[in-house]
Amino acid sequence: MRREIYAYKCRKCGQLHYPYRMVCKGCRNNDHNEFDPEPLPRTGTLVTYTDLYALPAVFEVPKLCLGIVELPNGLRVTGQLRVEEPRVGMKVRGEVEVVRRETYDEYYGMVFYEG
Amino acid sequence: MRDVYVAGIGITSFTRLEYPLSEIAAYPVMMAIKDCGLREIDHLYVANMGSGRVNHQTGLASAVVDTLSLTPSGAELIENGPASGGSAVKQGYMAIASGLCDVVAVSGAERMREVNNLEATDLVATLTHPIAEYIYGVTLPSLAGMFTRLYMEKYGVTERHLAMVAVKNQRHALRNEFAHIQQEITVEGILDSPEAMTNNPYVADPLRFFDCCPVSDGGAAVILATRDVAESTGRPLVRLAGVGQASDTHCVHEREDPTDLLAVRRSAARALGMAELAPSDVDVAELHDAFTILEIVESEEAGFFPKGEGHLALERGDTTLGGTLPINVSGGLKGRGHPVGATGVAQVHEIVHQLRGEAEDRQVEGARVGFTCNFGGFGNNVVCMAFVRE
Repeated sequence: MRREIYAYKCRKCGQLHYPYRMVCKGCRNNDHNEFDPEPLPRTGTLVTYTDLYALPAVFEVPKLCLGIVELPNGLRVTGQLRVEEPRVGMKVRGEVEVVRRETYDEYYGMVFYEG
Repeated sequence: MRDVYVAGIGITSFTRLEYPLSEIAAYPVMMAIKDCGLREIDHLYVANMGSGRVNHQTGLASAVVDTLSLTPSGAELIENGPASGGSAVKQGYMAIASGLCDVVAVSGAERMREVNNLEATDLVATLTHPIAEYIYGVTLPSLAGMFTRLYMEKYGVTERHLAMVAVKNQRHALRNEFAHIQQEITVEGILDSPEAMTNNPYVADPLRFFDCCPVSDGGAAVILATRDVAESTGRPLVRLAGVGQASDTHCVHEREDPTDLLAVRRSAARALGMAELAPSDVDVAELHDAFTILEIVESEEAGFFPKGEGHLALERGDTTLGGTLPINVSGGLKGRGHPVGATGVAQVHEIVHQLRGEAEDRQVEGARVGFTCNFGGFGNNVVCMAFVRE
């Protein structure tokens, strides 16, 4: 099964949101569950990034590269970056992979690669 | 609404403190009571973020009100992340302005050094979005690092400017006996010398070690009162003239322009508007420099300098003690330290100290209008305040 991360499209005004929110930011439609989920596109442009060296204890690596990526539908996503030399504006493609392992849990999220 | 005055102030050293959290919160209230002589307190607000998680103590306000023997006065814990202190002072303002109380004590306290730095960073990282940020390893320094990279590209801020903020605020802190960091540094030592990568390594590039505030323990308190009560103390009259608060999207990536800190802009405009002041009226400001970049950007968003020119004002020395608008004369979060819940109250403490003219060798000459900006999350909940000496 291909894992997906979803954006949420308002059924009234069509605005996309990521992550999920209870009330649409565009039209503030207050009816419950008025969103259609749609998978996030897997390509985008790197907006900004950082190499983080002071890591939360569960990450047993010397550094973690984190970035914000803009997708073709205008949404932005925060994710992990596995790129040799990141550059602002570079094209990246995303995969849904394990991004965090704790004693009993694995968390899936967006990991971006070059290209 | 009734006018609200800051009648008394008190503070602990910001450092590693080997006292129970309830005592770190109570001691500055005792100092503030001593400062103004008011012993009848109608209500106590305690600002704190991590007591349940870090110190294994909940219901902190109930413990503090009792250890101060202020029972049966009402008491509440206010948690609004790193802006808890500003929020608690705002609650105190509302209690007095509304007529519900005449005298309110507000304490902010944190004891974060009880755990190691990784756990303290993780506590603050729990402010981020649980599934869209936190799981990736996002921490506040990482959000600040990504923000800094954008700001550098767009406005020409350099690592040198960031280092200048660190040097300035640590120099200011040398004049504050309560400040955590008592160490003079130079741009050469942390940026240019061959040892710079050793003594100032990257934390979340382009942010380095000296761009980040320390993890501190500490407490600060103020006593707010009506005009009648404040006058009766015989202490200089400092009015809390404006309070503004604004929020922004939880996820940083959802912001329309990721180089804007809209909640700072909006809360500052509200605070100054309410006080009927312009940014140019402000004589001294305490901004939330948890990271050096934030002092520069907040000084722009508050309206002190045009957008993208805060680093030029820094270069000119405008924001140094003796400049046209000294910022973080106390040392700021960078030099004084950042016990999360205490910071917003400590900012008010410093401004009142300055407006009273009692700040001795770090006194901003003739300061009559002061401003504070207490920044919660990565700018998703900000409290600004304006103070006027009467």
